[in-house]
Amino acid sequence: MHYDIQTSDRTEKGYPLDIEVTTLKYEESSINREFILKLLPKVNYPALYSAVSQVCPHCTEHSLPELPEHLDTSDEAISNLDEDTIGKLHTWLLDVYLVEGMLVCPDTGRKFPVKDCIPNMILHEDEI
Amino acid sequence: MASPPGEQYLLLVELVHKHIDFHDAELRAVLEMHEIKLGIDCNFIALPNDANVSAGSIDCVSQSKRPFRILSFPWSSIGSRFSVCDEEEEEQENCTRTETINLVTSLARCTLIRSVLELWGYGNQLDNCVGSIQSSNCLERHKAGKHLSAKSDGAKGYGSRSWKITIHTLGTTYSRDEQQDMRSKFSFLHLPGPVQMEHPDDEYLFIREVELDTAGGAVYPRHSEKKELIPENDKRPPLACYFGRILGNKRLGRNWRGGNRLEQYSLKKRLYLGPTSMDSELSLIMSNLAKVKIGSFAFDPFVGTGSILLTTALRGAYAFGTDIDLRVLRGRSEDENIRSNFKQYGLPSPELVRSDNAIYHRHFREHLPFFDAIVTDPPYGIRAGAKKSGSRRDEIREVLDEHRHDHIAQTKPYAVSDVMADLLNVAAMTLRMGGRLVYVIPSMLDFNEQEDLPRHECLRIVSVCYQPLQTELGRRTVTMEKIKDYDRNKRDQYLQGAWVNGAASAEKVANIRERLLEAAKKKPGYEEKAAARKLKRKATKEAKKKAKREANNK
Repeated sequence: MHYDIQTSDRTEKGYPLDIEVTTLKYEESSINREFILKLLPKVNYPALYSAVSQVCPHCTEHSLPELPEHLDTSDEAISNLDEDTIGKLHTWLLDVYLVEGMLVCPDTGRKFPVKDCIPNMILHEDEI
Repeated sequence: MASPPGEQYLLLVELVHKHIDFHDAELRAVLEMHEIKLGIDCNFIALPNDANVSAGSIDCVSQSKRPFRILSFPWSSIGSRFSVCDEEEEEQENCTRTETINLVTSLARCTLIRSVLELWGYGNQLDNCVGSIQSSNCLERHKAGKHLSAKSDGAKGYGSRSWKITIHTLGTTYSRDEQQDMRSKFSFLHLPGPVQMEHPDDEYLFIREVELDTAGGAVYPRHSEKKELIPENDKRPPLACYFGRILGNKRLGRNWRGGNRLEQYSLKKRLYLGPTSMDSELSLIMSNLAKVKIGSFAFDPFVGTGSILLTTALRGAYAFGTDIDLRVLRGRSEDENIRSNFKQYGLPSPELVRSDNAIYHRHFREHLPFFDAIVTDPPYGIRAGAKKSGSRRDEIREVLDEHRHDHIAQTKPYAVSDVMADLLNVAAMTLRMGGRLVYVIPSMLDFNEQEDLPRHECLRIVSVCYQPLQTELGRRTVTMEKIKDYDRNKRDQYLQGAWVNGAASAEKVANIRERLLEAAKKKPGYEEKAAARKLKRKATKEAKKKAKREANNK
């Protein structure tokens, strides 16, 4: 889920990062509605949607739910979200892991490797 | 604002004799977190024999560092705005029905609280204490069950409530007979129910407070080491006497600490540890100072083994951690890493990213400040030298594209003064308004809290709590709160203004390893001890070599 807060370097247009999937993992966990509701205002929904769309085609093993293209994340709308949507959001925000792959800057094309669920964003000495 | 005595509901908070400097800071943070406003909803009241505290003051800091605080609430608010209900089912009901704040649940969050009493009376001696109970209307109210949420069927009627009186004499021993003597002074209460030693409905506590030293022992001990009575000390009057009913007795027992609480998450049981893992007690206190709650977005930029991040997750936060050291992020093996620690406690996995806090703005989007809490123990070169991205060399060679993925990024030493300046800046940039940064900073005795702490225009210092570690060295836990929006254009200005006294203060924090070594070298016997250690190391090495040779020969 942290993809929605990551950007690439130096460029204004380096957000959000594109995702190249090698391996995915899905681990179901219990849903805490209060937790999701508190988290939602902080999520950049369009970025999340774009991330999900890029990852979706690769989930062949599990049938993961689809997210609506637009979601009203204002405080009022959030408190009225139904259980189904909460469940879907929970799945994508917390249960799907990119185990191995690449995060690619849409502007410069710089690829950041992801291994064991940990993205390596370290810039090399010539990029500082 | 203080209501007349008859109209007050008093709570006596007993604190543990540890982390004394943290008592008030933690208590205040926890009260604020639960929307209990000091000065409006409740006030501190001076303890007997504590001339330094003015009654009803908000900034109650007991100058003598006594382990008690008295909080006063208007009686009218108990049962309406606040509840002291101890029944689980009723608790659920209350939460969903109204906005009633349960004081027991709220205060239970404090790591440093030992117990909480509904204070019926107090004074500077036993007799005054008894007198104070007789003139209060606590007993009447208890009889009427007004604050026991008598609405529910669960709460037992006054007549059948089992009870017992426990005598708690700080730092002093009294014989059974002497204790019974004290108990008899309260027989005027005529409690109707049966006396029950194990798990009574109501446990009453009589506390006799005396002056305590830093180790928690009595300054004027009643008995000598040989168990003989010291008459002069025995005759000394106590500092204060308190009597009340223990709150939360059903759920938490008399001792609020330990047992089934978070304190069980000690480091001893944890699977993945490193030399830098923060002791769980301090991490828990830090998460309280940072006001971490369910759904909070918590961040540790120097996550290391994740010990601090774990406690934020225990409080229900969404945990996010970064570190420049890939090895520590990935752990020692599949079963020994940060994620496995989280799994051990049934917590959702944290988000981990390998990144460099010195160039945070290059890694992460700046759009919305969204962290609620940043809780961290920055690397200050004692157990783990800090690093940042960049080359140590003057001439930087370009990395070819085909080598990009495998290239191991060079790092260079990251001065502590920069670590702190960057940390404050990242906090100012990424915390939401009112969000908190809690960090630990090592300091020697010559540290001046007013001048030597790093500063930032957008952050105000809420509290600084000192914890002594060795004679020379201690550490301070600093809590800061975001009060002003971050201005991207002022970045350089912010960074340059971090150290009020410029290089001098930064120096006090930096190079502590070298300074400790200097101090150690000056101590007598250092040369001999160093030589002895060297010999020992050599001997161990030889022994290992020998063992290896023998194993190979077999």
